[in-house]
Amino acid sequence: MGGAVRRLPTVNQEVILRQFPESGYWRLPLCPMIPDIGRLSLLIAFGAAVYAAIASVVGVQQGRTAIVASARNAIMAIFPLISIAAAAIIYALVIGDFSLDYVASVSSRGMPTYLKVTALWGGQAGSILFWNFLLAAFLFAAMLRKWKGEEHLIPLVIFVLAITQGFFLLITNFLENPFNRLAMIPADGQGLNPLLRHPGMIIHPPMLYLGFVSLTIPYAFALAALIKGDKDDGWIRITRRWTLVGWLFLSLGLILGGRWAYDVLGWGGYWAWDPVENASFMPWLAATAFLHSVMIQEKRSMFRLWNMGLIIATFCLMIYGTFIVRSGVITSVHSFAQSPIGPFFFGFLAIVFIGSILLILMRLDQFKAEHQISSFLSREAAFLLNNYLILGILVATFIGTTFPILSELVTGEKMNVGETYYEKVNGPLFAALLLLMGVAPMTMWFRTSAGRLQMSLRWPALVTTIIIAILYFALPLQGWGSPLGLWIVTFSTILTLLEFWKGTHARMRSKGETPWLAFSNLMARNRRRYGGYWIHLGVLVMGFGVIGTEFYQQQTQVRLASGESLSLGRYTLTFNGMREYAGADDLVNTEANLSLYENGRLVDTLTPRNQIYTRTRQPMTIPDLRATIGEDFYVLIVNWEGLSANAATFRAYLNPLVNWVWAGGIIFIIGTFIAAWPDPVDEKVKEAAKLPALQPAIGD
Amino acid sequence: MAGTSWTAIEGDAPKSGSSKLKFIVGGVLIAAAIIFLIVNAASGSTQLYVTVEEFYQQQNRLMGRDLRMGALVVGDSIQYTQLDATTSRLEFDVVDSYENPQYTMHVVVMNEPKPDLLQHEATALIEGHVQADGSFLVNPGGLLLKCPTRYEEANPERLSQQ
Repeated sequence: MGGAVRRLPTVNQEVILRQFPESGYWRLPLCPMIPDIGRLSLLIAFGAAVYAAIASVVGVQQGRTAIVASARNAIMAIFPLISIAAAAIIYALVIGDFSLDYVASVSSRGMPTYLKVTALWGGQAGSILFWNFLLAAFLFAAMLRKWKGEEHLIPLVIFVLAITQGFFLLITNFLENPFNRLAMIPADGQGLNPLLRHPGMIIHPPMLYLGFVSLTIPYAFALAALIKGDKDDGWIRITRRWTLVGWLFLSLGLILGGRWAYDVLGWGGYWAWDPVENASFMPWLAATAFLHSVMIQEKRSMFRLWNMGLIIATFCLMIYGTFIVRSGVITSVHSFAQSPIGPFFFGFLAIVFIGSILLILMRLDQFKAEHQISSFLSREAAFLLNNYLILGILVATFIGTTFPILSELVTGEKMNVGETYYEKVNGPLFAALLLLMGVAPMTMWFRTSAGRLQMSLRWPALVTTIIIAILYFALPLQGWGSPLGLWIVTFSTILTLLEFWKGTHARMRSKGETPWLAFSNLMARNRRRYGGYWIHLGVLVMGFGVIGTEFYQQQTQVRLASGESLSLGRYTLTFNGMREYAGADDLVNTEANLSLYENGRLVDTLTPRNQIYTRTRQPMTIPDLRATIGEDFYVLIVNWEGLSANAATFRAYLNPLVNWVWAGGIIFIIGTFIAAWPDPVDEKVKEAAKLPALQPAIGD
Repeated sequence: MAGTSWTAIEGDAPKSGSSKLKFIVGGVLIAAAIIFLIVNAASGSTQLYVTVEEFYQQQNRLMGRDLRMGALVVGDSIQYTQLDATTSRLEFDVVDSYENPQYTMHVVVMNEPKPDLLQHEATALIEGHVQADGSFLVNPGGLLLKCPTRYEEANPERLSQQ
């Protein structure tokens, strides 16, 4: 191997220089050893993970802190080692070292440098290396922390983290190694697929990976507490922010994925309930349930078993999702190529799941609640109902995603459920969840009087009913589904806004503050609570967008000769002509020029285009749109009949309120930042007290 | 705000048996409602997943039934026809394997754009039914091409060495 490897770069240089003398190949010095250094770093990192796992257990068993410290050092050493490997593959991608199979399959000479770098996660082997890199970075950061009060769990946390990192390093080293070389070196690589050359797709996978790896930390603490038989809830408090950060990244990944689909795939939608989309949605749901119910454990020492189950479910669903995406076991429009890593992920999932369940069964006595729910009309009961609904959506989505496997096991026939299934099940459950989102903050801990709750809800309900009645006749709204959905979303939005108003008003009265100061102070002093309300508001705004696009989307497809028009809603679109022009990166663009009229008034010129990457002959349709707060007019070229014919077929969509989905996403993310930001008051309270379970957080 | 009204753990009296029962009944009712929704939705929206070969082997049973098929696109067969101003037809053939194209399915898609990824060697996921003339009529929105997410083609000519 060594001799062949040493000769390859020489061949590579000769071939490239002969065929592409001005390729800029020499902009970076070629060092033939760099991929080998990367490969070696990965092997050493794997050894470090194995050592850390063994040493942490041995250290605990023998009570020798020096061995545990060495395990911690080994875990921390993984990050720089994987960084070297990641840097090596990025180097190979940037200089175009096509002697590496991975580089040849995802990169090409004509690609811009930033795309060459992001091609690190453009293929299976590179993306797993990237996953390893992010996981190692989080582990490194976790090991730098002191974890005050929970030091006794650290050796076992190291054990769980080392096993997880070791598994991913095993895959990278022995099954999907990005440093594998080719026997025949191509002069140029295949390049990254054009559909992946979009900002949303560049950022979307890292966000999901960051979410997944961040959630590994709370799982490790949960499992450590289980193994140790720790009855204290400290691990929950101490890892809450890690969970929130993981959840934030998962949310960002989901939103960006939706935006990419909307911008690039040209079907006018953003979510299709595809198994791969569901694969990232399910851990997000489990984490959402956990983040809600964990508050009950913190405040009232209840739901211990439930929360342990949820954090384990979150981690297992993360592995399950990875298994679905990368094994090819379920047919999806997004899946990776069939790969040998599927059984390994399944095996790991089985070990994690069965091991965790066994541990729970062994430690059942650890989960005895100190209190119980006393009333249906209480904050605790509302949280429980919230969890039931989220888990209902999760179970329905899991069944839908796994339906081909389940049906084959039961009936011998592979069946599939379509989008209708998800809409029928998850539609009502989401509606109930959105309603609860508004009502739950009106309830009190322990018990709420029915009269008081009724008082809080009466006026918002009346105002909502008047608004929806006006809309029903003015727009008009159709059927009963969308008016009901809009009623729920409007009602919950009013209730959520009232929470902000009540808090601000109380401060204005008690402290004599101006409205803006009172509002700012309210946010600053109750970040967790009001961050949560911002998140709710974001979801509700997204809810408006979903209702608009699901119930009121209009579309048409028409062939137009130059000068002809199509009509959609109150818009008229006139085709003015086509032009062809060359773009960067071997692109040829064919662009249509269309005038958009709203009620007869020219409001925009739209230029949808088709692109063809001349070398790979890969076409790409780029829609154009006019976006307003009320709707998007979205148009794409379906078929072009050539410059001489001067005619083309266009598909146009009118997507009401679609921008509310993105605006809601932004509010949601801002809310998560607010909630995750360290709250000085809260920190002080926790630090000083080690509070008794029932004591309320400040501002609650 | 809300939480200031409760402060005392003494108020948290042990739950009575009937109260516990209420929660159990409530939980069971919610679970039953979710199960009903799942069963009801699944029974009305399932498609049988078959390969091209499986369809021809069970042709009589599967004709006209709602099916989902995943197969390879034959590049030369792709044809887009604009029938009139508002009607278009996209046609192509799919096979299970290029090496053994014994069974071929002719696919017809009405009034849908030609997807960018519809090309030779692409995997098409089609949802619809087989018509009396033997062609597979795709449901509206039922033509999906495997997204190139981390796109990797099998290429036997590129031999890897460890």
